[in-house]
Amino acid sequence: MNSKTGIVTWALVRDTFREAFARKIFWGFFGCSTALILFFIFIMKIDVVEGAVATVSLFGNTTRGHDVQRLVRQAHAGIAAFLYTAGMFLAVFASAGLIPTVFEPGRIELLLSKPVERYHILLGRYLGNVLVIAANVFYLVLAVWIIFGVKTAVWTPGFLWSSAIIVFVFSVLLTVVLLIAVVWESAVVAMMVAFAIMFMSPILAQQSLLERLLTSEWSRNTIRVLYYALPKIFDLGRLARALVLGDPVIDWMPVWSSALFGLVTLSGSLYAFGRRDY
Amino acid sequence: MTCAVETKGLIKIFRNRWTGKEVRAVDGISLNVEHGSTFGLLGPNGAGKTTFVKLLLSCAHPTAGRAMIFGRDSRESEARRPAGYLPENHRFPTYMTGHGMLDFYGALSGMDAAALRKRIPELLAMVGLAEWGAVRLGKYSKGMLQRVGLAQALMHAPSLLVLDEPTDGVDPIGRRQIRDILQSLEQQGVTIFLNSHLLAEVELFCRDVAIIHRGKVALEGRVKDLTAGSGYRVEAESVPERLQKELRTKAKSVAERNGHIEFLFGSRDEANQALDLLRAGGCAIETMARTSSTLEDVFVKTVNEQ
Repeated sequence: MNSKTGIVTWALVRDTFREAFARKIFWGFFGCSTALILFFIFIMKIDVVEGAVATVSLFGNTTRGHDVQRLVRQAHAGIAAFLYTAGMFLAVFASAGLIPTVFEPGRIELLLSKPVERYHILLGRYLGNVLVIAANVFYLVLAVWIIFGVKTAVWTPGFLWSSAIIVFVFSVLLTVVLLIAVVWESAVVAMMVAFAIMFMSPILAQQSLLERLLTSEWSRNTIRVLYYALPKIFDLGRLARALVLGDPVIDWMPVWSSALFGLVTLSGSLYAFGRRDY
Repeated sequence: MTCAVETKGLIKIFRNRWTGKEVRAVDGISLNVEHGSTFGLLGPNGAGKTTFVKLLLSCAHPTAGRAMIFGRDSRESEARRPAGYLPENHRFPTYMTGHGMLDFYGALSGMDAAALRKRIPELLAMVGLAEWGAVRLGKYSKGMLQRVGLAQALMHAPSLLVLDEPTDGVDPIGRRQIRDILQSLEQQGVTIFLNSHLLAEVELFCRDVAIIHRGKVALEGRVKDLTAGSGYRVEAESVPERLQKELRTKAKSVAERNGHIEFLFGSRDEANQALDLLRAGGCAIETMARTSSTLEDVFVKTVNEQ
């Protein structure tokens, strides 16, 4: 990457952060994350007897020392699940508005007149958006991991991996938002489609069951195509849970097939943006 | 010598996706703007001026033809590096401060942090907004936004400045200030491409103009040549009817105003002959002056003739 490319990318990322700050999106996430961190600092009580963890009281449940590791992993899994569902909805909801604003008349012409390739503008904005969410996810997950680690002396790395999965899934969903924003310039449609993919995912995850229930070959093929073509949000959630709990991951297919979906959608956005007249 | 702007058979057709109806917004425009000149693009609403500028700066793709900036196809991103642009109806992000906005657009033009630190205060001072750099753009008046927009276009010291209605919403003092800035840029050899409805302003500032109408170039040339459709105006009082009749046959036009009769003659000789006749007829001569058509006259005539 030459210096001019770096300057432009950094400017686009910084602009996304500025807009996220101004729209209170960043601070909203940051405030929620901080509230959750404070919650864990103050509600989790630990008894330490002669340098060893004797009991842990979390959400009113008390457990003996030998169960601490399991308890911490389950708490991590609960937080990761919360972030994966509610956090993801919030992230898509908040980000959907950040992308179409770039295409507003009077703003896009100025960007396009600069000596910057169109794909660079779009990728810079996309990267900025992913980083806004990633910064908050990593902040929350890392802080919670440290709090649990300091209080329980359990330092399982699986919870940290969950943040990577959350950011990955968000970045895949954001490609859908990006494509719709480029084609229709509508934050509402972008959100609707992203949410539809999220809602359909647990249903499609039951693909083998559905195939047994469906009678026509056409329906079975449709379910199969949809399952393999769309990002596997539900399956990735299960994968994140397995990582947090320290269980073995049997199948990495949801990761690469979702990544492929993201790449194809992103390429579609870049192609559509490159051809559009403003 | 390479032209600052050169278009060859530029065509832009917009097609309605559903009805298939076509609109030829730009219909085969070939224009040359010399390096270092001040060029005005004129035309009635919907003539295709803004589309032309968008094609020039690659905001829209031509259906056919080419637009070049300093000899390079403007679709190449590097070709746009020497160009600064202030769009019409711009919408600068209101969350940015004046300083932040210049920093952002300067960086997009490839300026590094040191260059930005030096350039931003200079430009804010140049457009009279030195005290407003830290204030959010949402608090700026329309005139201030135009001025900071001009500063934005000048950030990377462009050799070509494309301005779409630059004085829109600016008060007379601000307008004067913008004109002074543009004049100093012209002296520095910057090519200025002005797209404006304000004919008087274009006439005052631009050396060359093109009038486009229905997507085509209807007229182009030097302002001084286009407005040189001159004549001689003779205004007199108490002109007898017989003499009026005689002079009407020789004059290009005759107008009556407040008891005075105004004759417009095509040449100096005709005007002098008329003066002799009027004096001989005992008429009081009010004025005799050489006239030239204004750019507005040329514009209206050109558009009406099309």
